[in-house]
Amino acid sequence: MNELSEKLQAYLRTRLGAPDLTVSGLARIPGGASRETYRFRARSGGTERGLILRRDPPASLIETERSSEYRAYEAFHGLGLPVPAPVVLELDPAPLERPFFIMEEIENCATGVILSPDPYGVHREAVGRQFFTVLGKIASVDPRDVGLSVFDGETDIHDTAMHEVARWEKVILEDEVEPQPIARAAIRWLKRNPPAPAQKISVVHGDYRTGNFLFDDKGTIRAILDWEMAHLGDPLEDLGWALDPLWAGGDPAHPGGMIARADAIALWEKTSGLKAEPKALYWWEIFASLKGAAIWISAAREYAQGRNIDPINAFSGWFCLAFHNKVLADRLGETP
Amino acid sequence: MNPEVGTIIDLSVMKIAGGVNEHGAAFAQGTIGLIASVLSMAAKEYDRGADIRFAENADLRALFGAIAGTVSDAGLKAKLEAAAASKDESLRISVLNANNYDLRRLLTEAMVFAEDHDLHDAQSRIWTVLKAAAARRLVQLGP
Repeated sequence: MNELSEKLQAYLRTRLGAPDLTVSGLARIPGGASRETYRFRARSGGTERGLILRRDPPASLIETERSSEYRAYEAFHGLGLPVPAPVVLELDPAPLERPFFIMEEIENCATGVILSPDPYGVHREAVGRQFFTVLGKIASVDPRDVGLSVFDGETDIHDTAMHEVARWEKVILEDEVEPQPIARAAIRWLKRNPPAPAQKISVVHGDYRTGNFLFDDKGTIRAILDWEMAHLGDPLEDLGWALDPLWAGGDPAHPGGMIARADAIALWEKTSGLKAEPKALYWWEIFASLKGAAIWISAAREYAQGRNIDPINAFSGWFCLAFHNKVLADRLGETP
Repeated sequence: MNPEVGTIIDLSVMKIAGGVNEHGAAFAQGTIGLIASVLSMAAKEYDRGADIRFAENADLRALFGAIAGTVSDAGLKAKLEAAAASKDESLRISVLNANNYDLRRLLTEAMVFAEDHDLHDAQSRIWTVLKAAAARRLVQLGP
């Protein structure tokens, strides 16, 4: 048993009031650069369960409110959506050196691989229909009904779009290590062409895409993951992000490598009870690519300055940023 | 392109030398796969890096020369004309980058002016250059 495993076991014994609890099989798994993700088994009282530990990294790529992700898991698991059950949130860095939370492990599932031309194989239709239906359900929820009325983000339907632009503009201005004329042009375009006010304020997942959910061998979505950028805002933000060409495996007509774009939007509208008005959705799709660019600019800086040398940051700084610059240039170049 | 090729090679070596197996096999496999991907991209960038920067710098200088005459602001016009007449003194990536960053900063200045003054032809020319630059910098995966 390594040091982290010993500390985790000691913590859980005290926190859960289970002096016989044992931790085994602690192993880090790929799970993004913004949180360290570990899988482990916990045994107590004759029962064993798989759990996931999500711990802050030494240097975080995108600064997020530590408790937000956990609160989002609590809220949407409680509604019966496919979201893992949260177990423990610990903001005190003392037990494991950094804040962390623990949730249930959803076993025997897979994620769709980003950039794969066919990430879901025979299940693409079924997975796609569930994916956009669940997103519509998330959009339909009133944050006040799930205890998230006080949460990161903007609650004024007139201000939410510019609130998000300002947030990511700040990231770009602080983190760009070389001039970014396309990203800066996108910011100006977004400010000059504001969308219609949000139809409502919803909980925005913030990173709802291929690669951030688990599905089983029957093609059933079992878990929506990675709520670390969850916030209050315009539900079209999540739809724009889910439709982004980066997740489409080279076929933007089939967002996420799933169902046809028109079907995806229709399912979202039906389930959310909202309209994806084309002009507003286009604005949020431009925003999505700009937000992506901001994240990749940040990743490149973290890597180049040696603060986080996870190779995903180098990959993001090269491949993903170049991709989103191309998407933005092509789109804005048609409608400057 | 940040991080630059040298940084990627240095930090990939550091990551490998530091041991990628300390967190278990699944994480090590993912990390090694990603290192392989970025090293493969770095190999391609080694071959094309100077070319895409040289071409982009040439396009930007030609653009500035073409739009300088439409700019009413004397200071900006002078900067555009000076940039249009500048040259890359070397094909070293560091030199090409330094010139490229100066040119791209000036490009943003010119774009803001063109947008604020409704210079549609200049905007159209600028986006043509930006689309070509973005296409040139797109990273192809695989062999």
